[in-house]
Amino acid sequence: MLAVLAWKNIWRNKVRSGIVIASVALGLWAGSFIMAYVFGMMDQRLKDAIETEISHMQLHHPDYQEDNDPKFTISNSSQTMKSLADHPSVHTGAGRVLVLGMINSPTASVGAKLIGIDPEKENQLTKLEDFITEGEYLNAGDRNKIVIGEKLAKKLKIKLRSKVVLTFQDTNKDIVAGAFRVKGIYKSHNSALEGLNVYTQGKDLSKLLGDGSDYHEIAILLKEAKQLEDLQKELQLTYSDLTIESWKELSPELSMMIETMDQSMIIFLIVILVALSFGIINTMLMAVLERVREIGMLMAIGMNQIRLFGMISLETIFMVMIAAPFGLLLSYATIEYLGKYGLDLSSIYAEGYAQYGFKSMIYPELAFEYYIRIMGLVLVTAILSSIYPAITALRLNPVTAIRKI
Amino acid sequence: MILKLAWRNLWRNRKRTVITSASVVFAVLLAIFLNSLKEGILVKMQENVVSFYSGAIQLHQDGYWDDQTINNTFEAAENLVDKMIAHENVISVVPRLESFALTASTDNSRGSLIISIDPEKERLITKIDQKIVVGDFIQKDDQAALITLGLANYLALDVGDTIVIIGQGYHGVSAAGKYPVKGIIDFASPQLNKSIVYLPLKEGQWLFGATDRLSALVLQVDNINDSEETAADLEQLAGAKYEVMNWSILLPELDQFIEGERAENVIFLFVLYLLISFGIFGTILMMTMERKFEFGVLVAIGMKKLKLSSVVVLENIFVSLMGAFVGTLVSIPLIAYFNAYPIKVTGELKEAYENYGFDPVFYFSIEPKIFYSQTLVVLIIALVLSIYPMLKINRLDAVEAMRD
Repeated sequence: MLAVLAWKNIWRNKVRSGIVIASVALGLWAGSFIMAYVFGMMDQRLKDAIETEISHMQLHHPDYQEDNDPKFTISNSSQTMKSLADHPSVHTGAGRVLVLGMINSPTASVGAKLIGIDPEKENQLTKLEDFITEGEYLNAGDRNKIVIGEKLAKKLKIKLRSKVVLTFQDTNKDIVAGAFRVKGIYKSHNSALEGLNVYTQGKDLSKLLGDGSDYHEIAILLKEAKQLEDLQKELQLTYSDLTIESWKELSPELSMMIETMDQSMIIFLIVILVALSFGIINTMLMAVLERVREIGMLMAIGMNQIRLFGMISLETIFMVMIAAPFGLLLSYATIEYLGKYGLDLSSIYAEGYAQYGFKSMIYPELAFEYYIRIMGLVLVTAILSSIYPAITALRLNPVTAIRKI
Repeated sequence: MILKLAWRNLWRNRKRTVITSASVVFAVLLAIFLNSLKEGILVKMQENVVSFYSGAIQLHQDGYWDDQTINNTFEAAENLVDKMIAHENVISVVPRLESFALTASTDNSRGSLIISIDPEKERLITKIDQKIVVGDFIQKDDQAALITLGLANYLALDVGDTIVIIGQGYHGVSAAGKYPVKGIIDFASPQLNKSIVYLPLKEGQWLFGATDRLSALVLQVDNINDSEETAADLEQLAGAKYEVMNWSILLPELDQFIEGERAENVIFLFVLYLLISFGIFGTILMMTMERKFEFGVLVAIGMKKLKLSSVVVLENIFVSLMGAFVGTLVSIPLIAYFNAYPIKVTGELKEAYENYGFDPVFYFSIEPKIFYSQTLVVLIIALVLSIYPMLKINRLDAVEAMRD
């Protein structure tokens, strides 16, 4: 009976109900959109860092990261490489020969990290070829060619096809040098790396180092990010003589940033819910005040307080229930659309992006369970915020209420 | 007349007025809260990282940044430091001499960055003394070194052992010295931990044959938000012989990160404004509906619609202004509270912050700009929304309105 009354009341004043329904739907949309946005953003950053720089995991000789001495290679590299590539969780992997040395042009000499790669595999792993701005990427047949960063090229005052000399200590601690020609110049998101990393053919470096063709580093990308921890444990058992680190250990800054975003998002969600509840409280309060006469009349003809409270609460609950599917549908549509076509931030905040031209597209994404969680939160908020207006209604005095216009 | 009418209307139905302005109060409060938090986190991160690495502003010999060798150092004239410190935004001026050299123990050697510092002054900006895990901080007149943990492990050195430094000094003189290790520092960043040695300034200058020479004056500023202008001022003051660089040039990655973060926060604000607009719109809409009868009567007895609209818009202006004023007023103690007692972060993040020597909290900014800009935005939203009752009055049919 009370439910029927409440249901009919909702449709008596369509505009008022419309506002409450719309604000709940909007709150739902705002909450899920923000979550999707933050997840999309984190994903984008992680992807940028993992798929072009760090990879999911890296394997080294246990002393290599501490010491960087070229003698600390991964023994049986090609064997390890092969069995890793065959592992069902591994998407792709590449080995690298690493040496810290000097790169010398006729005018300057600068410390650099020389990275000997297998061009094809490296490109699958870090998409290096996409970052080439001038000249060309390495290919398998190249001899003594290098690809260097724009920043480093500027420091060395060299151009494409310039000749440079790389000097470093070989595994016997003797100084060796080799002449190389610049084949390509790349630009990176990370300007520190752009000034440091020099890529060349792995074979060329190994020959200069004089110690077989073992790698110093094997980096792998997984098929699915969530297998990270399991695989790390598994590999650590298989290759107990190697250090296996995930991106979280390799880049503590990155995980710190992700965690910061994660926690600030929780605060943001709370702010959204508070904003929503104020919206609902205010609108419902206005609605109660508008209906003073009607409520006074109901009380005068004998509706008791409990029923009155029940009626107003039920009205809110019904409206929230109507709002929920709309809100969810709206969120789903927005998130799916933007998830597919992306949200271009450069048009909103040109200043920050124009300066650095880094990726400005964000693709929001939200797993199903979060929709449910957000819905739960919003519904609870909406229902809690209807309590105060309902109590206000109870406090009305029937006689004065009826007298009022 | 209209003004008086509007003012009286407000107090005719106090409850309605209070509710409408309350919606503006909350809107202002939330917008300020969120902005203050967002800016607080970013500015604090900026301050943390900047003080950790480079300092807010550095002054070098012109050309040093592009070619960081000991030959590009300068002798700091007394009045140069005075000029810098005289700037109102500069708190302290800290001298440094940096150079690369080979560091060695009995078995191993590694190229390291040798930073010669004025221990007392350096301590105040980078808090480096707090990062010591074994041993003690160096004193001004010590002939001893501080080394980072990674280097200590690699060279197998402990406090009291001797580290050897061999390199090239000013204008090619050879630089060689040996120092007892007085303390070991642990930086959270593995990169930094690998190869840094700190010496007292005088000792370093002697070692590199660069008496009284410096590679940089590191300036600590009062307000990091103004450091770019401060750097420009100082560049003028210092003259062409020197280059003055803001942290955004010294640490482009950090600047890039923070600008990106600001851009991404714009969306958060849009969503909040949308929600706020809707809350305010709800109350304005209800108000318009509720007063339909009253408007009908007024129009019927001959009040011009334009006049009536201006009364209603004026009412809205009053209500929004009151709301904005109260909202700002209430937000001040709230933000002041959170500024004094920031929100504590938890879990992995807490650990990460602590590792880096940062306070594990989310700060709230009390930059005045946040208060007035957010109040202004909400005020504008409220005023734009009051177009709705104007339109409604314009289309009002007196007879139909009174029939309700």
